[in-house]
Amino acid sequence: MVERLSSNRARTRRLDRVYGAIADPTRRAILSILAGGEVNVGTLAGRFPISFNGVSKHVKVLEQAGLVRRRIRGREHWLKLRPTPLRDASRWLEHYREFWDTRLEALEDFLVNESNTGQRRGDRGRRSSK
Amino acid sequence: MNAAGDPGETLVVRRVIPAPRERVFRAWLDPASLSQWMRPGRATDATAEVDARVGGRFRIVMIEGPKKYEHTGEYLAIEPPKRLEFTWISQATDHRPTVVTIEFLERDRGTELVLTHRRLPAKQLESHRRGWTDILQLLEQLPGAPG
Repeated sequence: MVERLSSNRARTRRLDRVYGAIADPTRRAILSILAGGEVNVGTLAGRFPISFNGVSKHVKVLEQAGLVRRRIRGREHWLKLRPTPLRDASRWLEHYREFWDTRLEALEDFLVNESNTGQRRGDRGRRSSK
Repeated sequence: MNAAGDPGETLVVRRVIPAPRERVFRAWLDPASLSQWMRPGRATDATAEVDARVGGRFRIVMIEGPKKYEHTGEYLAIEPPKRLEFTWISQATDHRPTVVTIEFLERDRGTELVLTHRRLPAKQLESHRRGWTDILQLLEQLPGAPG
């Protein structure tokens, strides 16, 4: 059960990283280029009016979100799109569904444990009115 | 396609919980209970403040390591033990009010919760919406192979 909760949490965090990564127009442009096939970092950087380091930082964010895979061949770094996390994230309602699934699971755990111990009834009237 | 202020999307989640309706209902309004289960996992913490009347507000802060996620809202309907309705505002709703309705149905095995979350930001969070149009187009271009 704990494992299931934390795997939901990990998935939610993964989705958050994807949402964050694609919020930026430069990163979306990088993804569009990579959708056409593998590209090396130098060629990619040449297509943007910002510095190599600037492009490199965006690529790192995309890698951390699992959207881009880097292969190093000799001195060249090649970048490839990984579309699966994008597909997952595009089913965006899943984000909310997982939130509630996880919460209801935790509610069930809480109520089952409560009735096993049977000593929590005193909680009833304690209601803060802030 | 969807302008701000449109009705948004609707999500329905169901779960049968082996506990009587009154107890399940109560767990949603009791801050001591909420702080136990309305949190991301066992290793983390949550605080809950509840003013359990129609028009009253709640505030739940889920704490995950150094991060705090605040969820607030207002009770729209409190009909123990059958129905609960409140607005729900969080970072995940782009800080806009969404509406959660929970029906508590008596079942042989306990209580069935039917949770309906309405007015969810359409397509994606407002700030990301343009991005999603691009991304969905990009996905359409790609071959459908899973990978």
